[in-house]
Amino acid sequence: MKFEHPRPRLSTVMLVYLREMRDQLRDRRTIFTIAVLPLVLYPLVGSVLLQVAQFTQEHPTSVCLIGGENLPSHPPLLAPAEASSSRALGRFADTLDEQSEGIHLVQHPLAADADPERVRAEAEEWVRSDLYHIVLWVPPGFTAAADGADQTSAASGAAALAGADALVGGESGSTAARGKSLQVFYNVASDPSRVAHQRIMRVLSAWRDQWVQERLDARGLDAAVLSPFGVETVDIAPKATRDAAFWSKLLPFVMLVWAMTGAFYPAIDLVAGEKERGTLETLLCSPALRSEIVMGKLAAVTTFSTLTAMLNVSSMLVTSLFVFRQVMPLGPDGGSMGLPPLVPMLWLLVALFPLSALFSALALAIAALARSSKEGQYYLMPLMMVSLPLVLLPLLPGTTLNAGTSLIPVTGMFLLARALVEGQYWAALIHLPLVAGVTLLCLWMATRWARRQFEDETVLFRGGEQWNLSGWVRHLWRDREGAATVGQALMCATVILVGMFFAKLVVTGGPTDWTGILQMVLLPQVGLILAPTLLMACVLTRSMRQSLRVRRPAILSLPVAVLLGVALHPTYMALGQLIQQIYPLSDAALAALQPFERIVSTAPLWQVIIVLAVVPAICEELAFRGFMFSGLVRDHGRLRAIVGTSVLFGMSHGVLQQSMAATVMGVLLAWIALRTGSILPGLLVHLTNNALSVSLGRLATSDAPWVRHFLSGDSGEPAYRLEWVLLAGCIAVLCLVYFSVVRSCEPAELGPDDGDEVNEPATAATPALAG
Amino acid sequence: MIEVTNLSKTYDDIGRGRFVAVDRVSFRVGPGEVFGLLGPNGAGKTTVLRILSTMLRPTSGRVRVLGHDVVTHPAEVRRQIGFVSNNTGIYDRMSAWEMVEYFGRLNGMPRDLLRERLETLFDQLRMNDFRHVAGGKLSTGMKQKVSIARALVHDPPVLIFDEATLGLDVLVARGLLQVIRTLRDAGKCLIFSTHIMREVERLCDSIAIMHQGRILDIGSLEDLRDRHGELDFEELFFGMLSRHDQAVEMA
Repeated sequence: MKFEHPRPRLSTVMLVYLREMRDQLRDRRTIFTIAVLPLVLYPLVGSVLLQVAQFTQEHPTSVCLIGGENLPSHPPLLAPAEASSSRALGRFADTLDEQSEGIHLVQHPLAADADPERVRAEAEEWVRSDLYHIVLWVPPGFTAAADGADQTSAASGAAALAGADALVGGESGSTAARGKSLQVFYNVASDPSRVAHQRIMRVLSAWRDQWVQERLDARGLDAAVLSPFGVETVDIAPKATRDAAFWSKLLPFVMLVWAMTGAFYPAIDLVAGEKERGTLETLLCSPALRSEIVMGKLAAVTTFSTLTAMLNVSSMLVTSLFVFRQVMPLGPDGGSMGLPPLVPMLWLLVALFPLSALFSALALAIAALARSSKEGQYYLMPLMMVSLPLVLLPLLPGTTLNAGTSLIPVTGMFLLARALVEGQYWAALIHLPLVAGVTLLCLWMATRWARRQFEDETVLFRGGEQWNLSGWVRHLWRDREGAATVGQALMCATVILVGMFFAKLVVTGGPTDWTGILQMVLLPQVGLILAPTLLMACVLTRSMRQSLRVRRPAILSLPVAVLLGVALHPTYMALGQLIQQIYPLSDAALAALQPFERIVSTAPLWQVIIVLAVVPAICEELAFRGFMFSGLVRDHGRLRAIVGTSVLFGMSHGVLQQSMAATVMGVLLAWIALRTGSILPGLLVHLTNNALSVSLGRLATSDAPWVRHFLSGDSGEPAYRLEWVLLAGCIAVLCLVYFSVVRSCEPAELGPDDGDEVNEPATAATPALAG
Repeated sequence: MIEVTNLSKTYDDIGRGRFVAVDRVSFRVGPGEVFGLLGPNGAGKTTVLRILSTMLRPTSGRVRVLGHDVVTHPAEVRRQIGFVSNNTGIYDRMSAWEMVEYFGRLNGMPRDLLRERLETLFDQLRMNDFRHVAGGKLSTGMKQKVSIARALVHDPPVLIFDEATLGLDVLVARGLLQVIRTLRDAGKCLIFSTHIMREVERLCDSIAIMHQGRILDIGSLEDLRDRHGELDFEELFFGMLSRHDQAVEMA
C-alpha cells in the first residue's frame, strides 16, 4: 500500500497559528493570566511585603532583665534609670544599642535568697508562654565573679579577655561558669524570640567589648594587642556577577515556572477544550494536515508561554526595584542582594524560547490525552512535579554549568542562561553545543509525541464511558492480546522501579561475603525484575513467547551477538571511564565498592559469571527488551520502544554513573532487539559484556600467553591494548552492519515510517461510538 | 463517487470487549444522488461517516472517494468533502464570517474567490444578519447554518451530513432539507445519516438501513417497499429491525 507523505505547508501553519492567537487573545481568562495577573500580582505582593516588613520593624522586642541590681556600675549595661518602680521599664545604654526604641525592657528584681532553679524555671516559662521574647538573668555574685577574674589575671590582658568571655555563658556555659555567667533564655522555635536573641547578643557583645577595653586601658595596655592582624576579604567576582548572583538564580526559576503555566492553560483550551466543544472534529476533517495543525497550535502555545514568562519576569523585576530597596538593605558592596542588573537579564530570553517551546509541546501532547478542559487541569500537577526537579536542580548550591549538567534537559539550559547573565560568556559558549543539542533533541521528541497524539484516533475520539474496577479487570483478562499494551509495559516498568527503590531502602549494609553478594544480586533480579515480568506476561497476555519476544532469530545472529559483546567491551569500558571522569564517584561510594570487588575476585569464576552475567542478562532482557519492548513497539512505536526501554533500563541501575552507561547500552540492545525481532541476540551481547566485565581482572593476571595480545595489567587495573581497542571497534562496526541488514523482525514493527497522514489500518481502543 | 467495500471497524471496549461497530458494510453513491443512512442510535452510522471523512481508520475493507483511498490519501479525500455534524463545531470566539473564511483558506482558496463565495453563501443561506456575531452567541439554527456554509465554502463534490437536523426546530430543519435538495440538483454526491424516517422518505434516492453495525437492506424507497411488501416506511423499518434482532437471538 502506498501512502502519501505531504509536507506541511508554512501558509497553513501560519493560518492555524493566527487563528489560535486571535482566539486566545479574545479569551478573557487568557488575557487575565498572561497580561493582567503579572502586572497586578507583583505590585500587590510588593505592597504586602512592604507592610509586613514595616510591621516586623515596628514590632518591639520584649526583654525581661532579672537581677539588674547585680550588674556592675561600670561599664553600664543600662541607660540611667528614669523611674524607680519595682518593675521598672528601662533601656540599654545608648552606646550599646543604636535602635533602643525597638526594645521593650522590663526589669525584674531578684530577691536575695531566690532559688536559682526556681528563677530558671520561671524564666523558661515566661519565654515559653510568650510573656517575654527573651529573659536575661544576672545571677547574684555576677559582678564579683567578673571582677575576680579581672583581678586574678591583672598581669595579662589576654586573661582579662578570658574572664570577660565567661560573662556571657548563655546556653552553652559549663556548670561551673554558669553561676558567674549571664543567662539568656530564648526559644529557637519562636521567630520573635530568635530575633530578640540576635539583638540581645549584639548588645551584650558590645558591652563585653567595652568592659575589656576599659580594663586594658586601666592597665595601660593598647587594645590593639587583642587584634594583632586584620583580615580583609576580596571578592574577585566581576561586578556583573556579584550584582546578578541572587537574581540569576531566582529569575530563571520564576521564568520557567511561568513558562510552564503559560503553556499549559492555552494548550488545554486549544486541544482538550476544542475536543469538548466539537471544533477539533471540524478542524480534523479540513484538508489541513495533522502536522500543520500541531505546528500551528504549538507555535501559538509557545507564544503565550513566552509572553507569560516575559511579562511576569519584567513585572517582578520592576516591582523588586522598588520593594527590595526598602525592605532589604543593600550590602556594602552591592552584595548578593543587589538590584537586578537589567541588561544581562535579557540573556534569559535566549533560554526562554526553546524551553517555552519544549514545555508547550509537552503540554500540547498531554492536553490531547484529556477528554475535556476539566480533565486537562488534573494533568497540570503531574507535569509540574516531573519538570520541577529539573528547574530546582540548578538552584542547589554547587550546581554549575559543566559537561555533566549540560546533558540534563532544562537544567542545562537554565545554567547556560545563568552563566550568560553572570557574564561568564566563555563557559557559556563552550557548553552551548551540548546544551543546544540536548534541548533540540527533547524538543523534537516532545513535538513528535504531540503529533502522534493528533494522529491517534483513540486519543482524539476517546469515549466518555464509565470506568469500574470489576469491568476493567474482566476486560484485562478477556481482551488479552498476544503482546503487552503500552500501558501494561509502563506498568511493568513502574512495578520494577518502585520495587527496586524500596529494596534499596531496606538493604543498608554492603555484603561481607559471597553469600551476601548472591543475595544482593539474585533477590532483586529474580524477585523484583523477573517475577513481575513473568507474572504480567502470563496473566495479561495470551502468549508468553510473543510478549517476552522469545523468538528464534536468524541463526547467524547468535554468534555475531557474542562477537559484538566481545568487540564492544573496550568501547563500553571507555564509556564507563569517560562517565567516571565527568561525574566522579564520591570517595564514600568508591570505598563501598571495594569490598564488593574484593569478594568477587576471590569467588569461583563460574559462580561469578552465572550470578553477575547470566542471571542479570536473562532477567533484564526478558523484562526490558522482552515485555516492555513488545508493549512500547506497538503501533509504530519503534523510537518509543528504543528510547523508553533504554531509559527505564538505565533507571533500574540505581547508581547514576552506572545508569548512564546502562542507558547507552540499552539503546544498542533495544535496537538489536528491534532488528532481530527477538531478545536472544541482545541477551548474548548483554551476557558477554557482563561476563567480560567481571572476569577481566582475572584474565589480566592469568598466565595464558594469548591474553597479552589483548590486555595489559601494567597500571594495576586491567586495560585493553590500544591496537585491540581499534581492531575491536572495527569488528563491532561490522557486527552492527550485520544487524542493520538482517531481516528477521515482524512486519508490523518495520512497517512504513509513521509520518504525517499515514493511516495504517489499526484496531483502535474505545473511541466514542456515536451513531 | 463514493465506493465503500466490505468496511469493518472494531474497537476494544472495556465493557463489551472487542466490539464490532461496523460490520462488512458496502455501498456506492453517485453524483447527483442523496444516499440515506437510516438507523437507530448506536447503529454505526457516525463511525461509517467518520471513516469516510478520514477521521477514523477502517479496521478492514476499502473506502474510496472520487478514486482516492481514505487510508492512503486522506488529505486528498478531505479536500473533496464537506462534513456537517449535529455537533456544529463552531468556534465560540469567532464570528460567523471569520469562521467560514478560515475554513475557506484552510482549503486553499484564493482571497478574491473566497470573498465572492462567502458573499454568495451568506446570501443564499440568509446569514447576513449575524455575519459578525460571535459563534458563542448564535442560536442552534444559526450555528447549523454556519456549519453548512463552512462545509460548502470550497464547493466540494461530496457532502456528508451526520444527523445534521438533530436538535433543530422545524423551520430550520426544513431549510436544511431544502439546501440538500438544491445541492443534489447541482450534481453533488450527498450522504445523509438520520434516524428520522420522514426525512429519508422525502429526500433520499437510495437508503441503507443500518442496525448493529450492519446494513440490513439497501435500495431506493420503492425497491425496499416492494421487497418487504410494506407500504408504510416506518412499519417496514421496525419490521426489519425486529426480524434481525430475532434472528440474532435465535443464533
